[in-house]
Amino acid sequence: MALLQIAEPGQSPQPHQRRLAVGIDLGTTNSLVAALRSGLSEPLPDADGQVILPSAVRYHADRTEVGESARLAASADPLNTVLSVKRLMGRGLSDVKQLGDQLPYRFVGGESHMPFIDTVQGPKSPVEVSADILKVLRQRAETTLGGELVGAVITVPAYFDDAQRQATKDAAKLAGLNVLRLLNEPTAAAVAYGLDQHAEGLVAIYDLGGGTFDISILRLTGGVFEVLATGGDSALGGDDFDHAIAGWMITRAGLSADLDPGAQRKLLQTACAAKEALTDAASVEVSYGSWSAQLTREAFDALIEPMVARSLKACRRAVRDSGIELEDVGAVVMVGGSTRVPRVREAVAEAFGRQPLTEIDPDQVVAIGAAIQADTLAGNKRDGGELLLLDVIPLSLGLETMGGLMEKVIPRNTTIPVARAQDFTTYKDGQTAMMIHVLQGERELISDCRSLARFELRGIPAMVAGAAKIRVTFQVDADGLLSVAARELGSGVEASIQVKPSYGLTDGEIAKMLKDSFQYASDDKVARVLREQQVDAQRLLEAVQGALEADGERLLDAEERLVIDLQMQELAQLMKGTDGYAIEQQTKRLSHVTDAFAARRMNQTVKAALAGRNLNEIEE
Amino acid sequence: MGTPCHFALFELQPSFRLDLDQLATRYRELARGVHPDRFADASEREQRLALEQSASLNEAYQTLKSPPKRARYLLAMGGRELPMEVTVHDPDFLMQQMQWREELEDLQDEADLAGVAVFKRRLKVAQDELNESFAACWDDAAQREQAERLMRRMQFLDKLTYEVRQLEERLDD
Repeated sequence: MALLQIAEPGQSPQPHQRRLAVGIDLGTTNSLVAALRSGLSEPLPDADGQVILPSAVRYHADRTEVGESARLAASADPLNTVLSVKRLMGRGLSDVKQLGDQLPYRFVGGESHMPFIDTVQGPKSPVEVSADILKVLRQRAETTLGGELVGAVITVPAYFDDAQRQATKDAAKLAGLNVLRLLNEPTAAAVAYGLDQHAEGLVAIYDLGGGTFDISILRLTGGVFEVLATGGDSALGGDDFDHAIAGWMITRAGLSADLDPGAQRKLLQTACAAKEALTDAASVEVSYGSWSAQLTREAFDALIEPMVARSLKACRRAVRDSGIELEDVGAVVMVGGSTRVPRVREAVAEAFGRQPLTEIDPDQVVAIGAAIQADTLAGNKRDGGELLLLDVIPLSLGLETMGGLMEKVIPRNTTIPVARAQDFTTYKDGQTAMMIHVLQGERELISDCRSLARFELRGIPAMVAGAAKIRVTFQVDADGLLSVAARELGSGVEASIQVKPSYGLTDGEIAKMLKDSFQYASDDKVARVLREQQVDAQRLLEAVQGALEADGERLLDAEERLVIDLQMQELAQLMKGTDGYAIEQQTKRLSHVTDAFAARRMNQTVKAALAGRNLNEIEE
Repeated sequence: MGTPCHFALFELQPSFRLDLDQLATRYRELARGVHPDRFADASEREQRLALEQSASLNEAYQTLKSPPKRARYLLAMGGRELPMEVTVHDPDFLMQQMQWREELEDLQDEADLAGVAVFKRRLKVAQDELNESFAACWDDAAQREQAERLMRRMQFLDKLTYEVRQLEERLDD
């Protein structure tokens, strides 16, 4: 199948009237933005012609750096450079603590349970970090397309749970993007390949990215893309291939497994380069320090075999869930950079008994598909011939029942949107309240499932046990986001919750971020600029104040401290006025006099980090 | 059931015998009309409406597509109270149930994948026969009690199919 040119008779003469919408692939390693231009969906390049934006954000005291330069600075400035933030999205502080040894960041708890990364620019939530990546892509799109965007389709792994989806949507909002839809990555890839309206039949999308693996089975019928089943492994990706090679190097070279972060990073970079070289070469020389050896493709294949096998197992499960047989699958589409590995292609071909499709760049195919869907959703095609995507929920949704068990209300692979109700009753005489605990997962025990939310239905009239009838309704919208309502049928007492997952942000946190991100700034340009200058100044003041409280005594002598205090007072004074230029100048001055202090603090934290932590697995 | 009858939604007469291809085609046509993607730039009210309508359409489709769910829905339409879990007097089938389960346990103990495949085929045949019996029985209004019994059997086989799938998954480890 080839990517079809979308010709739009009767619409093309006025391209300027098109409503601008983009597709964004917010990836673990790399991010892209794509749009429909002259009827063709393509990724948008930056000023240097690069379409891929590494998902790396480095925080400086006074600015934020996103992309390749930030990625390159990661080993020099690990505490303020955030990589692979996607892995932290929608995760709680406790989840992240489990990864603790592998992450170089210092986490601080927010108002909610979401982890904040302590940077020189202040604490940053994963949502904010993602928003910073999205802002760059939004800017790129608006510059390239020459106008403001109506909205964007943001892709997420099909296997993302409710918390991860909600976090992604929050990030987009924070970046000032109107989210037309959260779209599952495999579905987006299917759109890119299958836009050709003649494509019919069953298609498998094998999506092996840097950190996650997704498999989806779809039925294509006359422009309708019906997802039959989706599955995957949220902890399986190309990064694991790098780790396998790195492990091989450690053994072969007789290195200590307990390497410092810098050495770890270097090892992984070498491993990643070897992996990439083996896509075309039969053998590659790997070296580390004075040690070097040949890694053959055969040996590499053997190293990754367990991971490839795991992915195929997920494929078989998805096929079973679809109620079809492997032979029924008419086409297999490859998505994600890791599908460039020859062994992966070969194994997938063997499993499905056919050569997988690889015509569209596996790094770009998701963004390309998302852009096509964004264009449709923005209302650019209304001739009835557009495609329709019918997606499913990847994981079962349910409630906690007696004995710590999870009762499924909506099983996995149910087509969305969906609404379903289940009735419960009280178990004690005179019980007037009931705790509703919403869960997501496939396991029986609630401790093995993800807790999404808890809320209480109060005011149930006192009755004997079992007499009250409480109807709990689950509703999942087209973005895969859940809301839950509970109602006592006799009295009509109600309680409901838009599942703001336990790992989401509180409204207070969101309000503050929105304020920080200038979304509500007035259209008046001068006022807007002034606000930005004031906010910048405020941010710097807070950062310096915090730093002084933490390390001022230790790292500054009296004279240095006095200079900083004076410049701070001056800035605080100017901020009360409306002289934007003066505020800007004074902000720079304060930033300048605190440079040395910031450098000393950085050294300290880096030293502390190198002493106690392990950089294992964080690198891409 | 509140909302319009599932069958009416698809412009079908209530019946157990359904042309599933036709049902799927109608479903896609209807989904095109009400899916929230159609209303991505519409007012909040319209979006909510699209969400609700799509959800009921999906529910109706899921119900009609599955023979046991369809059978249950038909019986409920006829006003029968149908609690999910009941002990139905059906000794013949009870024996058969025990047999099925024992076989499945043996297959698990022996990790017999080929045996599971044979079991699946037999299960499919049994389901097809049962569907046929229900269809015939449903045409005769005097046989409602028997119809309910058959529906419970269908539900059991459906559950068994799910268990076979789980077994396949375990054996795949």
